[in-house]
Amino acid sequence: MSIKLLQRNTRFLLVWLPVVLLICSGIFFVMLRMHTQHMQEKQLLLKQMNIWKAFVDKAGNIEKHIEGEYDIVEEAGALHNVVDEPMDTVLYYEVGKKSLPFTMLTKKLSWNNENYLLTTYTSSREISHLVIKVFTTEAVILLLLLIAIVVLNQISSRALWKPFFSTMQKLDDFDVTKSQSVKLPSETGTKEFDELNKVVEGMVANTNTAYHNQKQFVENASHEMQTPLAIIRSKLELLINQPNLTERNASLLADISEANNRLSQMNRILLLLAKIENNQFPETESVNLSGLLKKLIAEFKNHYDDFPETTMNIKDDVMLNANRSLIDIMVTNLLKNAIVHNKPLGKIKITLNQSNLLIENTGSSLTINPDELFERFKKGSHETKTTGLGLALVRQICNLYQFTATYSYDNDWHRISVTFA
Amino acid sequence: MKLLVIEDEHSLLQSILEYFTQEDFRCEGVATYSDAIKRIDYFDYDCIILDINLPDGSGLKLLEDLRKSKKDDGVIIISARDSLDDKIVGLNYGADDYLTKPFHLSELNARIKALIRRKYTKGVDILEVGNLKVNLSSRTVTYNDRSVALTKNEYDLLAYLLNNKNRVVDKQAIAEHIYGDQTDNMPSFDFVYSHVKNLKKKLKDKGCEDLIQTVYGLGYKLTI
Repeated sequence: MSIKLLQRNTRFLLVWLPVVLLICSGIFFVMLRMHTQHMQEKQLLLKQMNIWKAFVDKAGNIEKHIEGEYDIVEEAGALHNVVDEPMDTVLYYEVGKKSLPFTMLTKKLSWNNENYLLTTYTSSREISHLVIKVFTTEAVILLLLLIAIVVLNQISSRALWKPFFSTMQKLDDFDVTKSQSVKLPSETGTKEFDELNKVVEGMVANTNTAYHNQKQFVENASHEMQTPLAIIRSKLELLINQPNLTERNASLLADISEANNRLSQMNRILLLLAKIENNQFPETESVNLSGLLKKLIAEFKNHYDDFPETTMNIKDDVMLNANRSLIDIMVTNLLKNAIVHNKPLGKIKITLNQSNLLIENTGSSLTINPDELFERFKKGSHETKTTGLGLALVRQICNLYQFTATYSYDNDWHRISVTFA
Repeated sequence: MKLLVIEDEHSLLQSILEYFTQEDFRCEGVATYSDAIKRIDYFDYDCIILDINLPDGSGLKLLEDLRKSKKDDGVIIISARDSLDDKIVGLNYGADDYLTKPFHLSELNARIKALIRRKYTKGVDILEVGNLKVNLSSRTVTYNDRSVALTKNEYDLLAYLLNNKNRVVDKQAIAEHIYGDQTDNMPSFDFVYSHVKNLKKKLKDKGCEDLIQTVYGLGYKLTI
């Protein structure tokens, strides 16, 4: 599953920044300890030097023992090994009745042929308190830093990616069938986005050109086909009027004539499709769909001897604001579809209300994918007499007026529904 | 009757000329704007069949010139453009009728005859074939002075066949003539057959027999 770039970035920072900060804190702590220990050692050495100097100057007449400060011990017996390094110890204080941590340093010294052991003390409690305080401060600062980095990253990302999102929004709004151009800023302040915008603009322009050419091609091709079709038709009319026409020839001519008629019809519809696509039906008016529907049903009943049994539920005065001839074409094609693809002794149900036109008819299931039903030249049956363009025309008109045409099949019933607005 | 056909597509021009020569028109055909201008300047025609897209000029310009010089030759535009706008523009320029390619020659014939009748017939316009009289003004039919009651479609069918008498008329041409744009929505042209059957029966009832023949599967022919 994909997540937002911003979230990914934040997630990455939140995982790895604490790790880095923890390692840094560890190093910081170790360094801090080392430095404090070094400082304590220096202090103990200085104290040692000062006390010994006082001891020698006063010829041994100074206090030999001050708790927590120093001890001078006259070494009578054998010299035991003295570690010349600071060591941790604990001193017991009568006053507070508690033991306190100290660091001590012992040195063997000689004066007047006597050996002395001088031990100096310094409290390590304050130092460790200091270390803890410094370390806590550092931890708080690092935590603040972590938050600041994440927040700043979010803010800067939002600002930086703004051109990207605005480009994406424009592409999302882009509809090739409306042949609109996409204008993107060429100076976003980010070189990558400038390039992206340039590439996108180029692509949109190419797409528009390709789409325009394709539309133009269909329209031109249909136009150019009109004349050859007219020639074939006129020659056929001359042929069928030839004297001594045999029955065999007549049947051949009848087939040619029928095929030519179908070709003319298809060509006419393709031209119509191209014209709708090219927005050549701009004028709209208020069309009474209920009246139109009833009129067309009555006409169809006149034309078809075996018009299927019809159930009608038509709400009066359903008005649409559209081009009258296009709505006429749409409804006619839907009705024709329901009649032609019906089964013998089939039924039709027509329901119209303010927002929806539903035309249902009985019939065997489709041989093609229902999603392709509204595509050009997709036929749900192998009925050769149909052009395969009727529903494409319906969809084209629906697209023009933002109607939605849907198809469903259920239990021997085909349902085509057109939802307005 | 004199007919001028202006059409740049040679093959189509030939078809039209051949068809209308058989109809006893005196036909002339030209393929270019310049030739057409010369003809129009020198002669008067009863009807001009005009293609809009000519190689060296627009048919509409020609029509404009014609009307400017106060000539009232009947003009029928034949064009591959079939939008309503094109038709309105053509008619505004002074055309009498507009036909979209591909058209049936029988339809063009019917339009020409209607145009000529409109121009030259004053008062009551009656087509007479033997004892059959078709009053085109009141759209009524009589046989031996007995009225034959026809539906609108049957009347249109009879008038169409009369206009194209002694010719085989294609079923599709009849269908398109009667139903116009609605023809595309017909599942078959069986209804033409039933209209013809009804018409023949009504005429037979009044004693008019064998006027209309079926020509194999192709179409119908009204013979006199």
